[in-house]
Amino acid sequence: MPEPAAVGYGSSVVLVADDNEVAQRLCRRVLEKAGYQVLIAGDGQQAVDIALAQNPNLILMDVAMPTMDGLEAMRQIKAARPEMRVVIASAHSMANDRERFLAAGADDVLSKPFRLGDLVAVVARLTAKPSA
Amino acid sequence: MPFAGLAAVLAVALATGAPGLLVFPLFLILVLYVALFDDRSQVVATGSAAALAILVLAIRQLGQTSNLATAVFEVAVLGIVAGSVHEVVRHWREAEAKSEKKAEDLESVDERLRMTLEAATIGLGMVAADGRWLQVNDKLEAILGRGSDELVHMSLLDVTAEADRRAVDDALGQLGRREIVRWESEVQQARPDGSRSPIALAMAAISDHGADEPLLLVQETDISARKRLDAMRDAVVGVRQVIVSASSWEQAAPVLLGSLCTHLDWDLAQYWGADDDRRSLSLQTSWHKDGLNIDLDDPVRNLSIQAGGGLIGRAWQSGVANAIDDLAANDYEQAGAERVAGLRAAVAFPVIGGGLTIGVIELLAREVRHSEADLVSMLSTIGAEIGQFIQRAATAQALRRSEADHRAIYERSPIGIARVSGDGELLEGNPALLLMLEHDIETMRSQAWPDLLRAYDQAAGRARLAPLLAGIADQRGIQIRAATGGGRWLWLQLTATSIPDMSGRPEHMLVMVEDVTTVREAQDRLAEALDAQRGAFATLEKLDRTKTEFLSIVSHEFRTALTGIQGFSELIRDGGLETDEVRAYGGYIFNDADRVNRLIGDMLDLDRMESGRMSIRLADVDINEVMSDVMARASSSSSIVAEFKADLDPRLPIVAGDRDRLVQVVTNLVNNSVKYSPDGGTVTLSTRADGGFALVSVTDTGLGIPADEIEHVFERFRRVRSGAAQSIPGTGLGLTIVKQIVEMHGGKIWVESAVGHGSAFHFTVPLAAEHATPLQRRHA
Repeated sequence: MPEPAAVGYGSSVVLVADDNEVAQRLCRRVLEKAGYQVLIAGDGQQAVDIALAQNPNLILMDVAMPTMDGLEAMRQIKAARPEMRVVIASAHSMANDRERFLAAGADDVLSKPFRLGDLVAVVARLTAKPSA
Repeated sequence: MPFAGLAAVLAVALATGAPGLLVFPLFLILVLYVALFDDRSQVVATGSAAALAILVLAIRQLGQTSNLATAVFEVAVLGIVAGSVHEVVRHWREAEAKSEKKAEDLESVDERLRMTLEAATIGLGMVAADGRWLQVNDKLEAILGRGSDELVHMSLLDVTAEADRRAVDDALGQLGRREIVRWESEVQQARPDGSRSPIALAMAAISDHGADEPLLLVQETDISARKRLDAMRDAVVGVRQVIVSASSWEQAAPVLLGSLCTHLDWDLAQYWGADDDRRSLSLQTSWHKDGLNIDLDDPVRNLSIQAGGGLIGRAWQSGVANAIDDLAANDYEQAGAERVAGLRAAVAFPVIGGGLTIGVIELLAREVRHSEADLVSMLSTIGAEIGQFIQRAATAQALRRSEADHRAIYERSPIGIARVSGDGELLEGNPALLLMLEHDIETMRSQAWPDLLRAYDQAAGRARLAPLLAGIADQRGIQIRAATGGGRWLWLQLTATSIPDMSGRPEHMLVMVEDVTTVREAQDRLAEALDAQRGAFATLEKLDRTKTEFLSIVSHEFRTALTGIQGFSELIRDGGLETDEVRAYGGYIFNDADRVNRLIGDMLDLDRMESGRMSIRLADVDINEVMSDVMARASSSSSIVAEFKADLDPRLPIVAGDRDRLVQVVTNLVNNSVKYSPDGGTVTLSTRADGGFALVSVTDTGLGIPADEIEHVFERFRRVRSGAAQSIPGTGLGLTIVKQIVEMHGGKIWVESAVGHGSAFHFTVPLAAEHATPLQRRHA
C-alpha cells in the first residue's frame, strides 16, 4: 500500500493493540500529539485483522489480551507481512521476557509502564524512512 | 624122664627077678620127684605107670601069694605119698606166686604215684597243726620257690601272702581242733623274690591217735597259668564291655584302665596320647588302685615322651608291646622314674588306630613280675581294639556333633526348612516352617505344600521343580505370596538346594522358606514413601513455578495499572492540557490507583489466609440477615442495572461463622454477579438448610462461564476474559479469597454455569452446634 507509506513523517500510521482502555487512550493521546495516525485494536484477533487491512507503519502490541494474545497476533502478521514493524509493549517484565519477545520476532520491546518520551522515541525510530 | 626111669627099673627087675620089695623104693623116689616138681597130670601118669610096673612084677612072681598083696600095698602107699606130696607142693607154689604178684603190684602203684606226682604240678607236704612244715615234696619246693631245708624252719603262714594269711590261720586252727577234717581255698603265696602266685590249697587232717593235734596233709597246686588265662579273658571281656557301652574315649578311658588293672592285677595304668603334631606323647589319663601312694599332681603331668625313649617311647615307636620285669634294672623313663617310685614292673602296649600308633597304655605293678608272652600278645590285641574304638568314637563323636549341629539348625532355625523328595513331596518340615504357615505336618504335606510348590514353580517360570533335581539351581530365591492356615497372607522367599546322594546325583532337595512379609511390606512402604516424596518434590516444584507465575502475574497486574497512572500523571505534569482532559486523566489515575490498592489488599488477605495467619472468629451468625444486608447495599448503588431477588428460608438456623468474613463472601459473589450481568438481569440470593449446613446461593442471569473455564474460576488471577467479559475489571483474586473463607468455615463452594444463561455460586456454612435442629433460638 503505497498510499500511507507516501504520507509524510508525521502521518505514519501506528496500530495500538491493547485490551486495556486506559492504555489505549494514553497511547492514542501521546502518539496523535506526536503526529501519528493511531488505530486501535482491543484484542489479538482485531490487531491481525486491522494490521492486514490497513497496513500500519508500526504496531504497538500488548501481549496479555483475550481471544488471541499479542505474540500469536504478531506471528500471524509477520507471516503475512514480514516487513511490518511490531513493538511489543507489555507489562510482562520478568527477567527473560524481553529476550522471549525479541526471539518471537518483535522489532523492539517497550516495558509498561513506560516514559512517554520512550514511547515516542521507539515509534519514531521504527517509522523513520530509510532515506530520511 | 620119669617114664624112662620107670621102664629101666622094670626091665632090670624082670631080668634079674629081683624081689618087688627091693624095687618099690626106686618107684617111690621117682613118683615123689614128679610130685615135687611137675603138675598134677604128670604126677597121676607117673604114679599110674609106677603102680602098673609094681603089679607086673608081682604077677610074674605068681605063686607067691604074699607077693601080690605086698604089691597092692606098695601101690597104695605110692599113691598116697605121691598125692599128698603133690598137694603140699602145689599149695606152697600157689602161695609163693601170690606173694610174688603182690610185690609186683605194689611196685607199679608206687611208680605210677611217683610219675603222677612228677607230672602234675601238685605239691604235697605235711605240716603240724600250727603250720610248721614237717615234710615237702619236690613239687612243693618248686611251687614255694624254697628248699625243704629252708622250709622246715618256716610255717605255712610264712609263705602265704599277707592278704590270705588270716584265712589260712583260721583254717589251721579249725583243723587242729578237729572241727573240720578238710579245708580248701585259692590263696596267694609269696615267693622269696617277692612275686606272688595263686595257689589252690587243700589241707586234710591225718588221724594220729597218739597225739592231741593231727598232722595235716597239705596239697598245693599252682593255678597261676589258669588264673592268668582267666584274668586275660576277663580283661579282654572287660575292655570290650567298656568299649561297647562307652560313647567317647574320654568317658571310657579311666574305666578301661581300671578294668585292665583290676583284671590283670596291676596297680597303676596310664594312657599316654600322641600330641597333635605326633612328635611326643603326654599323659592323658591314669588310674590306680586304692592305697597306691602316687602323687598325681606332680610335674609329670606335663612330661612329654619322645619316640624311642624308654619303655613307653619304644612301644610308641615300634608299635609293639614291651615289658620290663624289674624297673630298677632297666632304662625306664627317667623323668617318670621318680613318679613311679615304689613300682617295680611295667608293661607298655601301643594303641593302634587307623594304622597309626595313637597312644600307649602302660601298666605298672608294685612288685617285680614276669610278663608272659601270652599276656603281651593279649595286650597287643587289646591295644588294637582300643585304638579302633578311639577312632570309631572320635568319628562317631564328630558325626554326632555334626548331626547335632545340623539338627539344631534344622529345629531352631527361624527360617523354614523343608526336605522335599524328587517328586516334590514334602518329606519333613521343621518347626519354623509349620509355625510360619500355621499348619501341622499333615495338612502342610497334603494341602499347603503342593500349593506352595505350584506358586514357586510358576514364579520361577517353569512347569515343575524338575530342573532343580537335575542339578540346575535357581539363581536366587523366588518370592511368592501365600496364605497361612490361619488365612494370613505372607510374602515368602523360597530358595531350593539340591542334595546329592552318595553317587553325587541330586536325590532330594532342601527348600528354605523365609517369611519376607515385613521386608516386602517395608519395601512397598518405602516405594510408596519415595513416590510420595517424589510427589512432594513435584508439588514443591509446582509451588515454585506457581510462585514465579504468581509473581509474574502480580507484577503484570501492577504494571498494567501503573501504565495509566504513570502515563497520565506524566501528561498532567508536563502541562498544556485542557481542564476536561486533566479531569478525565485524573479519573483514570484514580481508578488504576484504586485497583492497585484493592489488588494489594486482596493479596495480603489471601496470603494471610493461606499461611494460616488469618483466623476467623466464630460466632452465631444469622446468614439471612447477612444476605439482606449485602443485598441492600448492592442495590443502593446507582450504577447497578441488575434486579435483586431474595429467596431466604425463614426457618434457617443460626450458623457458626465470622460475620465480617461471611459478608465479604456474599458481597464478592453479588458483585461478580452484577459485574458479569452487564445487560442487567436478575441476581437471586437464596438460603436453605441442608443437613447440618446452611446452603447459600447467589444466582445471576448474566454472561455465564465457558465450560473450560469453570474448573479454574477459583484459581487466583483466573479471570474470564473472553467475549463480553473481557472488559470487566477485577483483580482475579476475589473468588480465590471467597473459597478460602468458605473452607475456613468448614464449608464448600462450587459453581454451576453456562455461557449465556448465567452462573449460580453455592456455598455451605455449618450450622451452630446448638442450632443443628431448625430455628429453636429464633422462635423461642
